[in-house]
Amino acid sequence: MHQDEIPPGTLYLLILKALTRGGELHGYEIASWIELVSDDVLQVEEGSLYPALQRMLMKGWVTAKWGVTPGKRRARYYRLTPLGRKQLEVEVSQFERVVQAITRAIQTA
Amino acid sequence: MLIHHNQFDSDLDEEMRLHRELREREQIERGLSPKEAHYTAQRRFGNDLALREESRDMWGWNWLENLIQDIGYGLRTLRKNPGFAAVAILTLALGIGANTTIFSLMNATLLRPLAFPNPDRLVLVWETFGKRPDNWNIVSAPNFWDFERQSHSFEGMAIFDSAGRGYNLSATGAKQDPEQVSGLRVTAGFFGVLGVKPLLGRTFLPEEEIRGRDHEVILSYGLWKRRYGGDPQLVGRTIKIDGEDFMVVGVMPREFHWQFWSGPRQLWVPVGYTKTDYGRDENSFIAFARLKSGVTMAQARVEMETLAGRVRQQYPKEDAGMGATVTSMGDFEMEGLRTTMLALLAAVGFVLLIACVNVANLSLARGATRQKEFAIRRALGAADARIARQLLTESVLLALMGGGAGWLLAAWSTKLLFHLFRLETMHLPLREFNSITLDSRVFAFTLLVSCLTGVLFGLAPAFSALRGGINEPLKECGRGSTEGGGSRLRHALVASEVALALVVLCGAGLMIESLARLLGVDPGLNPKNVLTLQMSVPQEDIYVGPPGLPRFCQDLDEHVSAIPGVVSAGAIAHLPFEGNAGRGFQIEGQPPADPEHMPGADYSVACPNYFRTMGILILAGREFTHLDTLSAPGVIVINETMARKFWPNDNSIGRVIRLGGSDGPRLTVVGMVGDVHYSGLDAPMRPQFFRPYTQAGWPVMSIVVRTRNAPSMFTSAIKKALAEFLPDRPVSDVETMQDIVHDSTGSRRFPMLLLAGFAFLALALAAVGIVGVVGYSVAQRTHEIGIRMALGARAADVLSLLLRGSMKWVLTGIGFGLVGSAGLTGLLGTLLYGVRPTDPTVLGCVSVLIAAVGLLASYLPARRATKVDPMVALRYE
Repeated sequence: MHQDEIPPGTLYLLILKALTRGGELHGYEIASWIELVSDDVLQVEEGSLYPALQRMLMKGWVTAKWGVTPGKRRARYYRLTPLGRKQLEVEVSQFERVVQAITRAIQTA
Repeated sequence: MLIHHNQFDSDLDEEMRLHRELREREQIERGLSPKEAHYTAQRRFGNDLALREESRDMWGWNWLENLIQDIGYGLRTLRKNPGFAAVAILTLALGIGANTTIFSLMNATLLRPLAFPNPDRLVLVWETFGKRPDNWNIVSAPNFWDFERQSHSFEGMAIFDSAGRGYNLSATGAKQDPEQVSGLRVTAGFFGVLGVKPLLGRTFLPEEEIRGRDHEVILSYGLWKRRYGGDPQLVGRTIKIDGEDFMVVGVMPREFHWQFWSGPRQLWVPVGYTKTDYGRDENSFIAFARLKSGVTMAQARVEMETLAGRVRQQYPKEDAGMGATVTSMGDFEMEGLRTTMLALLAAVGFVLLIACVNVANLSLARGATRQKEFAIRRALGAADARIARQLLTESVLLALMGGGAGWLLAAWSTKLLFHLFRLETMHLPLREFNSITLDSRVFAFTLLVSCLTGVLFGLAPAFSALRGGINEPLKECGRGSTEGGGSRLRHALVASEVALALVVLCGAGLMIESLARLLGVDPGLNPKNVLTLQMSVPQEDIYVGPPGLPRFCQDLDEHVSAIPGVVSAGAIAHLPFEGNAGRGFQIEGQPPADPEHMPGADYSVACPNYFRTMGILILAGREFTHLDTLSAPGVIVINETMARKFWPNDNSIGRVIRLGGSDGPRLTVVGMVGDVHYSGLDAPMRPQFFRPYTQAGWPVMSIVVRTRNAPSMFTSAIKKALAEFLPDRPVSDVETMQDIVHDSTGSRRFPMLLLAGFAFLALALAAVGIVGVVGYSVAQRTHEIGIRMALGARAADVLSLLLRGSMKWVLTGIGFGLVGSAGLTGLLGTLLYGVRPTDPTVLGCVSVLIAAVGLLASYLPARRATKVDPMVALRYE
């Protein structure tokens, strides 16, 4: 099945959203959620999650804690902070603005 | 992040590993084989190493970590190549050290701030005569009083005696010996106009300017500390100067240095004159002022002109043809210095560039052996920027080490320079110049230059490391048969350093030529074995009216000429090379000129035997004699230029001028003497005339004495003889005429020698560079040479091939250098004398010199190529 790449700049948006819906997730879970929710349309290069997560850690949008998976493996779990919640709102509205503009552009012509 | 490096890495590793395994498991569940699942998971994940680095990058500390890594790596690499490092550091040390030296010189001179507030508002005020703008005259006291009273452009004006003199400080108690220090007479406004507040006490009051009330003194900080131990109670006490009591009223602050006009001063006394002491036509004071805010110098100039005109109308005799002008005080004497400094700075800048080229070439050669290393790194995913950054870090590291060595070099060479050139005699008017220290500003300069240098020469190897494919270098047998495009860069660098060296050499050559011409100029006198001394001879006290005036010259003759070993003695108001006064006059027998445009000439006053003592040729007529007294007819002696100018077609002897105007005193020309340079060997000759001291008088005379030999040995004998008829008049500024002539070229000699030194350095560096490049090229082409020789080429053919290749670039460099030189050496401007910046002799000689050096430098390593054994070369794969 052909999967589309996610539009550039939307990775943070998707991760933030994943965390609001999922509570505490580790990296694989976040990637799965995105795949699931988009009906497998969106493919994320999964490695690129990790630099993004580090950046979000640095910016204070998420916090991380080591925990244990159901399969008894050590994993780092991420959770959203209030700052991250606010950032999500910002990103969403920005995205919507851009999409509307593009939709308008396509419809004319 | 820096500290928990490894922790961070292993944590991230674990995290990503889990993710991959989970994905793999999922793929297996979906039906892929384990191997396929593994590949898919891996593919979806991406490059582990890159991700890890990227993750760490996000935290922003990466650059610092990278820098530390780079520095460590750079140091290790340099340690592995000590030869390269040593040569590079030495080369850089020379270049950076030279720059630091010159900059510290500039720092100690030009860049020192003046101790006065708003120094650009300070101006000098001059009288002019003959309506020519460059006919400056120092002012007379009465004229100054009028200027001061009537002008509106200035916040304040002040004057000081143009001739300071030595003041004898008597012993204080049992501790101190008597001492003579240099001092200056000033008006009350002197310190106020400058804007200097005393450290202790006060400055002079206006009423203290008058003789009788003038026994106050202000000391310099240095004198106060040295002789009086910095005694805070000194103000208010009296000290004995020249046998008289003077009350110390103030002490100047440490930053205040006054050596304007001639020599540093240690104490200041009030002018101590009366209204009748000085004639309106006796110009012996320097006037300066502070512009009122909002007034420009041009406006002040116009006002002074008008003022002068008014004064001239009031006193048509003494001030005939007088005008006035105003010039900036800060610029005075600084102009030439600025040009010198900038020229030197440019020269060392070029030397540094040449050094950079050499090190760049070295780095390029070394970089060629590291091609494999770079190829591997790039293949593994290192960003170009990262590699470039690392190479630049290495270069800057090298440059900083070179800078450190250069700093030491500079510390040593500034001391050497200072003593070699007796720089403390370089009179910087308003700044202290006792030493050249390497202070924090110089350090910052050195640091900056080092970093820039590192970046500059680092660009070449960085650029060349990134050029080219990854495959070639990784192949097992890299073909080094002919040189790649890299060699063109190296050769182009050689051409550029040849060009730079040429420019510096031309500059030096022109300076040498200038100085040679200057020294060849006949000063017009014979300075050998002549001693000069300065003495103030106040008119009122001692020599007043007839028969007072003639006695000075006669006494001089009797007492001084009588000393065994003395050939003759005389006196003059202005020594050669030390400037002049000037006067206007009307010429009898010619149509009277408009008083505004009266002819004028330089003017001085001389005792009989002056010309003979100085060895100035008497071309016609006679010298002054003791018979030229006030009761005898007025006479003058003129110089050749004056005779030629005003009486071009006739014999000038017997001609008459009227001093100051058509009804001024009649003066007859009785003698014509050879031209003497009065303001420097390079200044154009000006018309000049002399009046006998017995008829005119002058407050400060320079006594000149010709001795059979060793003039300085006669100093004490002459002083004793002078004391016989002028007791208690101290004598100052004892110098031999030869030293005076010598010092007058000092301001040129100093930059010339330095420039020549730098030119030599530049040439040497360029030669070394050429040797390096050609040698390297030979090593690279060993294979090719072997083939050529195996195919029948003779050693001479190979040699000529190599030489032609190298000389092509040298000649290109010479070409560019000549173009650059023609443009840049014009900037030497006033430093040149008698040569055009494009003087073909100099340019030609320099070009030939460089070509010869280039040829030799190419030949030495090229010779090695002819010794290549074709079999060995071919076998070397």
